[in-house]
Amino acid sequence: MNDPGFLIEARGLTADYGRTPALAGLDAAISAGEVVAILGENGSGKSTFLKVLARVLAASGGTLLFDGRPLDSVPRRQTARRIAYVPQSVDLVFPIRSLDVVLQGRAPHGRGFVAETPTDRRQALDAMRACDVEGLADRDASAISGGERRRVFLARALAQEAEVWLLDEPTAGLDPRHRLEFLETLWRVHGERKTTILLVTHEIGLAADFASMVLLLKGGKTIAQGPCGQVLTAENLSRAFGTPFQARGRRFEVRSGVLPGGSLEP
Amino acid sequence: MKFPESRASRARAFAVGLLLLLAVALVAFSVGGVRLSIADLLSGRGEAGEMARMLASIRAPRILLAALVGGCLALAGAALQALLKNPLADPFLLGTSGGAAAGAACAALAGASPLVSPAAAFLGAAAASVGVASLAMRGGRLDLQRLLLAGLIANAFFSALLLAAFSIASGEAARTMLFWMMGSLADATPGKDAALAPYALVGAVILVAMAARLNLFSVGEENAAALGVDIERTKRIVFLAASLLTGAAVAFAGVIGFVGLLVPHAVRAIAGNDQRTLLPLSGLAGASLLVAADAASRAALAPVELPIGAITAALGAPLFAWLLLRTP
Repeated sequence: MNDPGFLIEARGLTADYGRTPALAGLDAAISAGEVVAILGENGSGKSTFLKVLARVLAASGGTLLFDGRPLDSVPRRQTARRIAYVPQSVDLVFPIRSLDVVLQGRAPHGRGFVAETPTDRRQALDAMRACDVEGLADRDASAISGGERRRVFLARALAQEAEVWLLDEPTAGLDPRHRLEFLETLWRVHGERKTTILLVTHEIGLAADFASMVLLLKGGKTIAQGPCGQVLTAENLSRAFGTPFQARGRRFEVRSGVLPGGSLEP
Repeated sequence: MKFPESRASRARAFAVGLLLLLAVALVAFSVGGVRLSIADLLSGRGEAGEMARMLASIRAPRILLAALVGGCLALAGAALQALLKNPLADPFLLGTSGGAAAGAACAALAGASPLVSPAAAFLGAAAASVGVASLAMRGGRLDLQRLLLAGLIANAFFSALLLAAFSIASGEAARTMLFWMMGSLADATPGKDAALAPYALVGAVILVAMAARLNLFSVGEENAAALGVDIERTKRIVFLAASLLTGAAVAFAGVIGFVGLLVPHAVRAIAGNDQRTLLPLSGLAGASLLVAADAASRAALAPVELPIGAITAALGAPLFAWLLLRTP
């Protein structure tokens, strides 16, 4: 590529689940190294956008460029080496050792999806150390806590050596301490490896504190994108979520005529 | 729960499985309506030796058939469980075996030569898997409850088809239909063993080659896709290979249930869920189980022979109930 431009560029992207449309012409332009918070009401297409980027779901129309090339023209194995996907929750039916979960991150790099060289192992263990789950290596990942499991999957993204991380509501359901530890790990890794992070969240405060850029979606379309300061306005949020927001300093709250405090901070 | 570490430990596990199969085969060889002494067979003189050789020529092909059929069914079940991330998947419960039997029965009814029956059974099995999988799709994904219901529907449909074929058929053909419905290893011949072996080998090689991909599937289909696996292609290959194994087993031994459910669970509990260990070990353990079950069917109420399917169902049905209770 002569002009690298944006790392991820979507124009009029559409996708659907069977007959239900999920993306209806999404636009996004994301440069390498950004931390992008993707905000929007339930069903606005946030998770779907991540799934299309992760190639879990095929787009039905529009353009999606990754590093200047249409994403679906690149062999899957190749994009899997560069893009890591951390789903919101993983329902583990069969027992699997946490170390083996992390080793799966090496699968796209190995021959025939086998990851068992000493290098694979070392990278998996290093990643687990970085995410503070080294001690869980031999434990069954279906029998550890949700917060621990989230960090095991984060370690996997690290072992995958991907330059883009797609995180679907990574902090949902974590208690304050685990939430803090998780975000600190994420921040450290982002600082060390300059990873581009796309993060779906419902926490507007987290977006404001953590992200360098916000992508605001509604009905499968982009209604605003850009630096937090520009996009996170009471007007934009009210439009995106269909309920009146008001600013209080850098925070936002939703008014309520029912709740005792008269407002709620989302 | 043990998690095998390396290629060496996988090879060790495989060797243990192979030894187990040989031991079971030796025991199965000597039990039955008449006890067969290995010593007589080897020293082989006089009337005792004659008798031993005659029994051996009947029992050996039967034991080989039991091993091949058990290996095929268990391997197919193990691969389907990983692919569908579903511990209840089994070629019998998902209607694949029923489809295979109906396919073979239709071919027999149409007057096709018995040589065609594995191909017809494979087509029936493949049609059944595709039908059941598409019935179970909901919003682009396979739904666990729908999958089991779809298997139930397929089984009801195929048994109706077999019963209809049974009532139309007469004489020898009717007996054949009954054989496919009930499952039996009694008609084993060296020729049948030789005909089944290539199908078993091809199916097994394909599935074992898919083991690393199936490891990613056993965490979830989306998981496999995000790690670069072409999931649609993998699903097609695994479904076809599992149908090939099931079709071949049913063509030569009829419908024998629960082997594909039972064996992978036992192996997983001992050796963990790494498909590179689980698949080959399930093949060996399935072979051992069916050889043992067949010996029990011959010996338990001798000279009356129990249907082999009754023994596998007696073991498999309680396990199925237990798994169902544990499934959230």
